[in-house]
Amino acid sequence: MAEQNNKYLIPQSPGKPAADDFDAAGKALSEALRISFIILKVIMVVLVVVFLVSGFRTVEPDEQALVLRFGKICGVGEKRILGPGLKWIFPYPIEKIVKIPVAKKQNLPINSFWYYQKPKEFLPESPTTRIRVPATLNPVIDGYCITRSEEHNRVVADSTGSDYHIVHCKWQLTYKIDDPERFFKNTYTDDAKPGQSYADVITKSVKPLLEHLFEDAVVTAMVNYTIDEAISSQDRIPKHVKKLLQEKLDRIESGIAVVSAQLTDITWPRQVDRAFLASIKASQESQKTISQAKGYAENTLNEAAGPVAARLFEALKDETTPEEEKELLWPQLAGQSQEKIAGSRAYRTKVVETAKANAEYLQKLLPEYRKRPELVVQKIYQDAIEYVLNNVDEKIIIQPTEGTRGREIRILLNRDPAIKPKSEEEK
Amino acid sequence: MKNIVVTIFIVLIVAVMVLYFISFQVREIESALVTTFGKPTRPITEPGWYFKWPVPIERVYKFDSRMRVFEADLGETTTKGAVPIIVNTFIVWKIAEPLVFFNAVGTIKEAENKLLSQLSDTQNKVIGRHYFAEFVNSDPSKIQFEDIQNEMLADLKQPVRADYGIEIKTLGIKQLKISEDVSKDVFERMRAERNRRTEATIAEGNAEAVRIKTDADSKKTELLAAAEARAKAIRAEGDAEAAKYYKLLEEDPDFAIFLRNIEALKKYLEKRSTIVFSADTEPFELLKQMPDIKPKK
Repeated sequence: MAEQNNKYLIPQSPGKPAADDFDAAGKALSEALRISFIILKVIMVVLVVVFLVSGFRTVEPDEQALVLRFGKICGVGEKRILGPGLKWIFPYPIEKIVKIPVAKKQNLPINSFWYYQKPKEFLPESPTTRIRVPATLNPVIDGYCITRSEEHNRVVADSTGSDYHIVHCKWQLTYKIDDPERFFKNTYTDDAKPGQSYADVITKSVKPLLEHLFEDAVVTAMVNYTIDEAISSQDRIPKHVKKLLQEKLDRIESGIAVVSAQLTDITWPRQVDRAFLASIKASQESQKTISQAKGYAENTLNEAAGPVAARLFEALKDETTPEEEKELLWPQLAGQSQEKIAGSRAYRTKVVETAKANAEYLQKLLPEYRKRPELVVQKIYQDAIEYVLNNVDEKIIIQPTEGTRGREIRILLNRDPAIKPKSEEEK
Repeated sequence: MKNIVVTIFIVLIVAVMVLYFISFQVREIESALVTTFGKPTRPITEPGWYFKWPVPIERVYKFDSRMRVFEADLGETTTKGAVPIIVNTFIVWKIAEPLVFFNAVGTIKEAENKLLSQLSDTQNKVIGRHYFAEFVNSDPSKIQFEDIQNEMLADLKQPVRADYGIEIKTLGIKQLKISEDVSKDVFERMRAERNRRTEATIAEGNAEAVRIKTDADSKKTELLAAAEARAKAIRAEGDAEAAKYYKLLEEDPDFAIFLRNIEALKKYLEKRSTIVFSADTEPFELLKQMPDIKPKK
């Protein structure tokens, strides 16, 4: 451009004679105009190029975009929402692009149901700085939820002394924008300041709305549960809260979806800490007592009848159990019952065998006995006496006295010291 | 050629300037109100491009039509039955009718002032209609917490729309609390309830343990009795079977009894026995004298 200017200006610079002044002036004017036009043209071209180029916008992968033409979202149906990529729009003021981060999940912690903690309470605990727990909860600074009481303390609807409990909890909400059009149209966000994108202001702007709705959902859900249900951290309560919150968000057409509602911390009030801990300890101890009793029961049954004890007992009690099944169980017995039965079996065998042996013995002897009864009897008798006398520890033979007056004999039986008295043996 | 370009350029600039004065955009997120000589004439709730007379004649006021949150202060009120309760109610609202809104309130700040008094009124009125036991109850079916919120919403919705052109999208109670004095009583109750529960737990545990033990003991007794009965039956079987062999003994009962006695004798005197004999008994008589025996003829 500078070169061009020079080219046109050079002829003027040396200065022409006065006669040519008018002509020269006219010429100069037209030259100036020409130059102006050229400058203007260049400016226009540059402007148009800048105008067109300024219409390019990048939609990031985690974003979706809406195009406003004269303030109205353009397109029909699904075309209203643009996916990621390079887009061209008519520049301001005709069209405007609004980029909304849809894929990005945001976390929002809610600590407004927690008791007030002084700054020093967050410091590591040392024995000297014991925290004094206030006796009451100040409704202005302390947060909490009200839970219902156990059902057995039922209160009628018109009574004044309704029963309820207090619980502290902390939550975390994870949400994302799932309907960019609804979100943009309905949900208030601050205007982006220069240098800020719409996405930057969203998180900060929706915070109050979400906090309020979330707290409402928590309060509404919590009154339906007892403190024990709440503290045992059942999945049920976060699900309930999530459902309530999503319903409200849908009803107001906010375009926000709840990804999750998490109960990050929950506790009973510090004021009743001791009673709750005692209760937990009691239930643990109770469990211990019961499991000990169960151990005892198992041992006892095992001792009585071994592992099949329980099944056998059921079978015996249940009259519908078929006999065959019971018969299958009996052989599996162990323990004292088994001893009894085994003993009786041994007895049976012994009795039968003895009877059989005796009978056989008799049968064998009979023919001989019939032939020579006296000898046989004598033989058996003598053998027996011999056997007995051989085994007898002490034998004392006394000469019978003649005459009428009896004689007294005293025998000192020296018991074998190796043999213990019966009573002692039992011990 | 030059002229055409210049003309287009100038026309464009002029057109843009003119359009700037006589037209305006209403975005999706707002509604607008056009006033003619200061008098509201045209409310616009649909987004788009609109024309108007230039400024001295017509003016455009724009209102953000998106939802805003507004909360009342934490306030103590009383339920039916005069139980004090502390609630914090909020509403989500938006400007629905720009004309009414412009006439009645005009600015967001003013709107919030009006909403505050309306909301407090409604809150006190509706809560006063319900017993505390309808907020929280040990019987979940009697809890009407959500209904109470809906009732407040219904109570507020119509008048606010008619009076201020404000639409209430939703209403909620974000804090439900009790006064500081009452919290002390609640703790007392919670403590008492918990202590009672502790005692009950211990008692139940002990009772259960005793039940389990006695149950096991009685099962043991029954099992042993059953086993005893079975053992007896087996012994009886043995005795019965043995009895079969007794028949064989019938052939000579005396001899059989003799044999049996011999067996018994052997058995009884097997151990730890001391026998005192008379010297007259066989074979000890041999100790006295030679036997008098002669071969049989």
